[in-house]
Amino acid sequence: MLQPEVVQRLTAGDVSVRSCHEESLTGDSEQQQQQRRQTEEGNPFSFTPQRLHLHRDHELFEDGDIQRHMYLQDLYISEAEDKPTLSVSEFACHISGCSSIFSTLEEYEHHYNSLHRHVCCSCRRSLPSARLLDIHIQEWHDSLFTILAQRQDMYQCLVEGCGQKFRTSKHRKDHLIRIHKYPPDFRFDKTKKDRGTRETKTQQQKDAAMEVVDDVCESEGVCEVMCNVLSDQPEQEESMETHVSEEEAVRMAKPASTEELSASAQGSESTSSAPPKPQYSYRVPSAVCFGHGSVRGFRGRRGRRK
Amino acid sequence: MWRLNKVRHKAGRQGDGLEELRLKRREHERALRQARRDRQLVSKRLLLSEDEEQFNKMTNPTNLGPEKETNLKALSKALRDPSAQLTFIKQENSMHLLVGLLTGSDAQCRLQAVRCLHELSHSPHKNVAPACLPATSYLLTYLSGPSTKFTELCLYTLGNICPDSDVVKEKLLAQGIIPALTSCMENQRHNLAVVEAVGFTLSQLLQTKDAAEKIIPMVLASRLPSHLLSVLTPDPKFGLAPAIECAWCLHYLTCSSEDNRELLSGGALLQCSSLLVSLGRAVAEGNKDEGIELLVCPVLRCVGNLLSSCPVEDLSTQVGDVHLVVALCALVQAYLHTRPALARETVWVLNNLTAHSNEFCSALLTLNLVPGLIQLLPFSQGINTMILRILANIAHKKKEFCVQLTQLGLLSALCATLKMMDQEMVTLSLDVLFMLVVSSPQVAEEFVKQGGLSLLEAIQYNGEGERRRRATYLLEQHLLSYQQYSTIT
Repeated sequence: MLQPEVVQRLTAGDVSVRSCHEESLTGDSEQQQQQRRQTEEGNPFSFTPQRLHLHRDHELFEDGDIQRHMYLQDLYISEAEDKPTLSVSEFACHISGCSSIFSTLEEYEHHYNSLHRHVCCSCRRSLPSARLLDIHIQEWHDSLFTILAQRQDMYQCLVEGCGQKFRTSKHRKDHLIRIHKYPPDFRFDKTKKDRGTRETKTQQQKDAAMEVVDDVCESEGVCEVMCNVLSDQPEQEESMETHVSEEEAVRMAKPASTEELSASAQGSESTSSAPPKPQYSYRVPSAVCFGHGSVRGFRGRRGRRK
Repeated sequence: MWRLNKVRHKAGRQGDGLEELRLKRREHERALRQARRDRQLVSKRLLLSEDEEQFNKMTNPTNLGPEKETNLKALSKALRDPSAQLTFIKQENSMHLLVGLLTGSDAQCRLQAVRCLHELSHSPHKNVAPACLPATSYLLTYLSGPSTKFTELCLYTLGNICPDSDVVKEKLLAQGIIPALTSCMENQRHNLAVVEAVGFTLSQLLQTKDAAEKIIPMVLASRLPSHLLSVLTPDPKFGLAPAIECAWCLHYLTCSSEDNRELLSGGALLQCSSLLVSLGRAVAEGNKDEGIELLVCPVLRCVGNLLSSCPVEDLSTQVGDVHLVVALCALVQAYLHTRPALARETVWVLNNLTAHSNEFCSALLTLNLVPGLIQLLPFSQGINTMILRILANIAHKKKEFCVQLTQLGLLSALCATLKMMDQEMVTLSLDVLFMLVVSSPQVAEEFVKQGGLSLLEAIQYNGEGERRRRATYLLEQHLLSYQQYSTIT
């Protein structure tokens, strides 16, 4: 069973060889490159330049044919009457479960940066910055933090550069209001207890205009579910787990992707020091949450259960 | 012969409003599109006589006396009406009489008789054409005659009836229409109105169903192709019309053959590509020749299909001028907003030109045409996918080209195309990205610096089949070692 590109080269045959030889090649010739690519294991890239011969009835020829016949029937005018529609490709958010489509790259980037960056894997909250995400994970999902916080000042001031730490979140809040003039209802400083009121929010993906904290991206649901795979039981405080929607359950049921993921997740769990783990460019990869690598959300859970 | 401004002239006379005309045109366009879908796209041409007057009432053709000519004139005007056409052919002996006049000794009567036949040939009713069969052998004979107006009418009449029925087509072939057209073209080569008419008639023959089986081989074996090629360069005084007809004939010939051997050996690619170069130059200079796109279109198609048939080693000699790439890029820019379909055909030709040629790929780079191509990547409906193929063709040739492409900003363009909804665009983008990344470590590093890793991860996680495999392969085999360059936000 020959690879398609090999077949093509065989039919093109000597032709391509002869065309190459007259060039003074500084790099590898096309042929050598091809051969090397083919010997690499499992290389899925199969692009080869192709000339396309179009038959008379091909759809690419439709408009031109119409103009020709309009001319024959004395109906042709040179200036196009109605402005022809030149369409532009749309952009689609790649994040699983997010089916948003955008007509410009800027809209796409804004959407992505607002809703899919700095997302906590555990509870799917989107935080506005890497730092706030770090703090969130630490304070909400890290059991070690809870233990340490009993004995030392662990709650960092949210203002970058301030550096002060506090024994309780209340102290920190007072500090933020008094010293840094923050509003008392600052959205990114909710205590764990406050979460209950927010749980009822719909999990449907909304426009970027929505408040960021309340937004729940459905992809996190998959990630969320994966987190469940790793730990035996969901944490008590995090009632988000119970809100796994039907959609997410269905996605969980999809054999191909989830098995693949759980396999890789479990695989990496067994090896505590597996080099070099892919370190992604954002802290908690919103889409890629296999359980290995620097996914902070899991740290709190591993070895937590009885 | 035809002049494009005749359309407006006609419209003015009939008193149609501009809006009515627009609606009528749109309606016609819709009908034509449907006809094309049904493989029934056929048109007829009507040659208007110089003195168009109001129709007179129809005269009984059997009643012709000394005022034969006047009566015939009246008859031909009456036969403009489709129902009159049907009535005429139903009358016994009417055609017989007409043929008699057509072949009689009175020259003026002959002219008027052929006018009548011409009107009949333009009929929308399919059964009128077979009724004209008794006249065809004479019409063909007259093609080698010296009279130009008469010959023109014979030609358009034949051209109108041949697509109407297989019976007519077979009869005409048997009666030797192809040799007749050939000698007509040769004898009247100086008369461009006749040349245009020959082109039209031939194009009608070539468009018939099953033309590829018999007609096309016969035409290729004749001297017609070289005549068609010789007419391609438009005469500045006469205009584009003859070249348009001959170009369409050549298109029907080139698109039905896989190897186009005869045409290539006859220098068709050389001729068509140099014509394309001058057309491109004309369009780029803002040439306002009305209807120039009617010539650009078939010539583009000829070049495109001939390129796909041409043996790769002959490419440089067959195409000749490397500035063809300049012409093609100029045409894309010129037609992108006014006629996007034509822009799409142009980039198809560019793909065929660059697929197996280092020379033309190199030319695109050295003539600084690549940035213009990259700017076309937002435009969908077949334009951007073809552009990516062209860029992939270039990247595929040499590592050196990959580096140059990267320097021209292709990487950041790919970061945008990888986010598109069109799956083919994403796959092609990955293909191009792969070639760039393996060409040099600097490219891989640059890609990572531009935030490419998270993009690929998203595709890896969320993409289907092909795209997922490609993203995974790229990440695992080539990019993870550059992780440290990714910007931590």
